[in-house]
Amino acid sequence: MNSSNNSSIFSEKLKTVIEKELTRYETKRSAILPICHAIQDECGWVQEKHIDALEKEYSLNRIQVKEVLTFYKAYKQSEPKKFEIEFCDNIVCCMMGAKDAMAKIEELIEKQGVNSEFGLKGVPCLGVCDQAPAMLVNKDRHHKITNENVEKVLSRYSSTI
Amino acid sequence: MGNTSDKIKIITKYEGMPNSRSLDTYLSKGGYEGLKKSFSMQPAQIIEEVKASGLRGRGGAGFPTGLKWSFVPQNIQGPKYLICNNDEGEPGTFKDRYIAELSPHMIVEGMIIAAKAIGACKGYIYTRYEFFEEIKWLEAAIQEAYKAGFLGKNILGSGFDFDLDHYTGAGAYICGEETGLISSLEGKKGQPKLKPPFPAVSGYLGRPTVVNNTETFAAVPWIMINGAAAHKAIGTEKSAGTKLFSISGAIKRPGVYELPLGYSFERFLNDDCGGMIEGRSLKACIPGGASAPILTPEELKGLTMDYEAIAAKGSMLGSGAVMIIDDRMSMVELMKVIADFYHHESCGQCTPCREGTGWLANIMGGIYHKEGQKGDVDKLWTVAKAMEGRTICALSDAAAMPTKAITKKFGDELRAFIERGAGA
Ligand SMILES: Cc1cc2nc3c(=O)[nH]c(=O)nc-3n(C[C@H](O)[C@H](O)[C@H](O)COP(=O)(O)O)c2cc1C
Repeated sequence: MNSSNNSSIFSEKLKTVIEKELTRYETKRSAILPICHAIQDECGWVQEKHIDALEKEYSLNRIQVKEVLTFYKAYKQSEPKKFEIEFCDNIVCCMMGAKDAMAKIEELIEKQGVNSEFGLKGVPCLGVCDQAPAMLVNKDRHHKITNENVEKVLSRYSSTI
Repeated sequence: MGNTSDKIKIITKYEGMPNSRSLDTYLSKGGYEGLKKSFSMQPAQIIEEVKASGLRGRGGAGFPTGLKWSFVPQNIQGPKYLICNNDEGEPGTFKDRYIAELSPHMIVEGMIIAAKAIGACKGYIYTRYEFFEEIKWLEAAIQEAYKAGFLGKNILGSGFDFDLDHYTGAGAYICGEETGLISSLEGKKGQPKLKPPFPAVSGYLGRPTVVNNTETFAAVPWIMINGAAAHKAIGTEKSAGTKLFSISGAIKRPGVYELPLGYSFERFLNDDCGGMIEGRSLKACIPGGASAPILTPEELKGLTMDYEAIAAKGSMLGSGAVMIIDDRMSMVELMKVIADFYHHESCGQCTPCREGTGWLANIMGGIYHKEGQKGDVDKLWTVAKAMEGRTICALSDAAAMPTKAITKKFGDELRAFIERGAGA
């Protein structure tokens, strides 16, 4: 992962992003959220070693970084699966069949033995209630997911489904 | 979507146009003309115009926009900030996303006009994390506006400088609350702050800051071009203008509709939205997002969609998120979803909210899993009562209000479920 000649654990691309974010806002602290997004996008999740490096290389206070990482749900607390399914289980999606579709996904994951590839969890309203039920697979948003069409949608991600 | 000829298109003006998001399309139908008009006016005049237009905040509370802007001290040294609240986390709401999809430049233009009015040097659009595509569109619009000279130094030769940037949230409903949003923008956990001081006096980094909802900003260019009186003439006496309603649930044509405030609910549901899905019947309606108290079919009769009429029925217009609930939806499930949501999203700062939402979720979990106790419904009510008006922000009240309404109006259904569960 480390292509540079100094000892940074961040890729050149990530370093460029971090440096840009650090001067983009009025205070350095505002850069913490965007930097954590960027690390997560590239590395899957923000790990202890990244927090160390942010402190060492960019003097970002580790307590402040941890405050952000633990408060906000967008940041993963452990290594994510290859495909993380986030299914809206709020009012309208529930009314339109979210629970059935989620049960179907669980069954598919179980039956096909792809637990190591797919993660599933319920999340709050995704803001597309006119297309309910809605889910995210990583950063792709899918609409009108039912227990009938969900298999087809997921098969785009893995041939074993 | 679904506009008929008697409806004025202010925010959805570009609906149906190809490449509606592009600057060229936006300019082709009067885009940035409102900005030019406002640059011929004094800041105080802009504020007066917005005040006179009757525009009220579209983020939920309906606070008069011009009045909010007038709270910003005019003659002080140092930076002032402007923030677009594009967090859109209120369950049922998807209108701000639609504006970003349709006309991101309308948001940008409205913000520049507002910046000129309050003397802001820098603005941010704060969007919820999950709007991945929408964020790209907003960032693209900001870049286009810079290139065209609508942002940056000496905008259109006026001598006025204004920078605009985008900031992405990280999955926290509480960051839709304006002071929570400000904490988040400062790179902290999104915990709300005590008011006063209000953001207009002490907001982002302790500086005067105006936070408005996306739709509020989007309404401003039209007001500049057409004048306050034309805006005031739309809607009702106290609820002026149009409003975007995001309607969803068991209806034939869910979506975002721009309607003049004061529009008939029945006409909206039956004509515009095509009525209920075949075979389903209307059980209830949540008229303004998850925190708005639920209304029964009886209460919906003759209802008009404006702040006052919905408040008179004991609910609120809120963000304009109308959720149509049909007879298949159990009130046990609905109440459980609501309780779980607020419990999950409470920031934990204030005891009545942190503990109260936990109690609501616990009690509902018990009922849902058929372990409900006699007296649980009364307990829900008591807990909700104890959560009201005692916290830094309104999330606690937002959980209490729907709980009280559901226990009051659908208490019998909950009780019957508990009894069946216990007997099973
Ligand atoms: C818990 C909570 C969540 C909120 N979420 C949002 C939101 O997602 N978007 C929004 O515009 N306003 C939201 N608000 C309202 C804001 O605090 C604020 O009133 C609004 O952004 C002001 O803009 P307006 O005057 O243009 O409506 C929320 C309030 C609370 C208490």
